[in-house]
Amino acid sequence: MELFNSESKKIVSDPINVNNPISLQVLGICSALAVTIRLDQAIIMTLAVVFVLCSSNVILSLIRNYIPARVRIVIMLSVIASLVSVVDELLKAYLYDMSKQLSVFVGLIITNCIIMGRAEAFALKHGPSKAFLDGLGNSMGYGLIIIVVSFFRELFGAGTITLPDGGAGYVLWSIPESWYAAGYENIGLLVLSPGAFIILGLVIWIQREFAGVEEDA
Amino acid sequence: MHSNNYTLFFVFIVTVVLGTMLSFTKDSVKDLQDQNLKADVQKTILRSLNFDESLLLTNESIEETFKSSIDAKCVNVEGEIVDCNIEEVDIEKNEDTLPIYIRMDNDEVQGIALPIAGKGLWSTIFGYIALNPDTDSVLGIQFYKHGETPGLGGEVEKKWFTDNFVNHPFKQPNGEIQYIPKKIRDKSGKIVSIKVVKGGVDYSESNTSSIHQVDGISGATVTADGVTDFLLEDLLRYEKTLDKIRDYGTI
Repeated sequence: MELFNSESKKIVSDPINVNNPISLQVLGICSALAVTIRLDQAIIMTLAVVFVLCSSNVILSLIRNYIPARVRIVIMLSVIASLVSVVDELLKAYLYDMSKQLSVFVGLIITNCIIMGRAEAFALKHGPSKAFLDGLGNSMGYGLIIIVVSFFRELFGAGTITLPDGGAGYVLWSIPESWYAAGYENIGLLVLSPGAFIILGLVIWIQREFAGVEEDA
Repeated sequence: MHSNNYTLFFVFIVTVVLGTMLSFTKDSVKDLQDQNLKADVQKTILRSLNFDESLLLTNESIEETFKSSIDAKCVNVEGEIVDCNIEEVDIEKNEDTLPIYIRMDNDEVQGIALPIAGKGLWSTIFGYIALNPDTDSVLGIQFYKHGETPGLGGEVEKKWFTDNFVNHPFKQPNGEIQYIPKKIRDKSGKIVSIKVVKGGVDYSESNTSSIHQVDGISGATVTADGVTDFLLEDLLRYEKTLDKIRDYGTI
C-alpha cells in the first residue's frame, strides 16, 4: 500500500475534521474539559495522547491476528495502560512541573474513550500503517479541539497565552496592564469547569457548521 | 476460537513484555525523578520563606540558593539540637526528630520553615509553614504533595489559599486597611495555630480571633479541617524551639 494515496489521507484528515472524535463523536470529553485551563497543558496533553494512540494502534494492529478474542479487551487495556505509565514516568523525569499540573489526567488517558475506541474499531481490523495513520488523525483531531478550547479559556479567563517550556511555562503574551487600568476584566468563569463546557459547546457548534454535518432529527 | 492454553500463554507473554518495558523505563529515569522530587521539596521550603521566584527557576539554582541561605538542622521536642540525616527524617513518624529550616542573612534569622503533614480527605498532605523571627506571624505556607481532588481539596496548593495566611485585613485607627500576616500565637504568647474556617472568615469587630483564621475551601471541608488539625499539632511539637528562637534569637 502506498502511504500517501487518497485513502490514507482520508484516514488522517477525516478524524481531524468531518469525523472529529470530540466534536462529532463527543468522546474524550472528560480530559478535554479538565486540561484546557492553560494552553501549555493542552499542548503537552496532545503530545501525550498522540504518542499513546499511535503506539497503541500500531502495537495492537501488529498482534491483532494473535490476540484471542475472549481476552482482547484485557490485552488492549494492558497495552494502553503500559504506554500511559511510560508517558507518566517520562513526564515526571523531564517535565516535572508539567506533570504536577496535569496530575491525575495523564493517568486518565487510559480511560480516554478515544483510545479504546480506536483500538477496538480500527486497529484490530487493519494493518499497522493504516492503524498508525488512524491514530495520528484521531489524536490530532482531539488535540486540535483541546488546543482551541484552551487558547480561548486561557486568553479570556486568565489573560495570558502560555507555551510549554521545561519549567512552569513560558508566557508568550499577556494582556497589558493598561487594558486592566482602562477597565478590562478577565472572565473568571472561563477558568472554572462551566467555562470549559461553554467554550467546548461553541467549538462543537462552529466545527459542525464548518464540516457541514447534519444530525438526524 | 483459540484454546485455553493458548489464551493463557498469550496473556502471560504480553504481561512479561509490558512489565519489562515498564520496569526498564522506570529504572532509567529514576535518578532524574528523584532529583526533581528533592528540588521540589527545596523549592517549597524556599517559597514558604518568601525567596524571590527568579531564584527558583531551575533545579541547579534551587539547590544553590538552598545551600547558601538555609541552615537546616533537627531539634527535639525540648528544643535541643539533635543529630540527624535531615533528608531521611520521616516527618509523619519521627516524633522527636524535628527538621527545621532557618533562613539566615548576615548571621541573623530571617525566617523559620517547619514541615507540616497530615491527613486530608483522601491523602496525606505535605507542606511547609514559615514564620517570621518573632515566631508569631506567618511568613508563608506552601503545600507540595497531596492526593486531594483537583478543584476541591486540591486547592490547598493554590496561591489564593496560601495567600490567605499572609493577608489579614487589619483596620488601622485612621480607618485604612493594611494587610498583615496571620498570627499563630494569642496575646499571651500561647500557640493557638491557625484555623481554616468553613465559608469565610468573619471580619467583624465581634470576632476577636479573626487573626488566627483563614478562609476555607468550598466543597472541601474535610481537607480544610485536616489542615487545621495537623497545623496545630505540628506547631505544638516545635513550641519550645520557637520559644527559644523568640527569646534568644537562636536555638
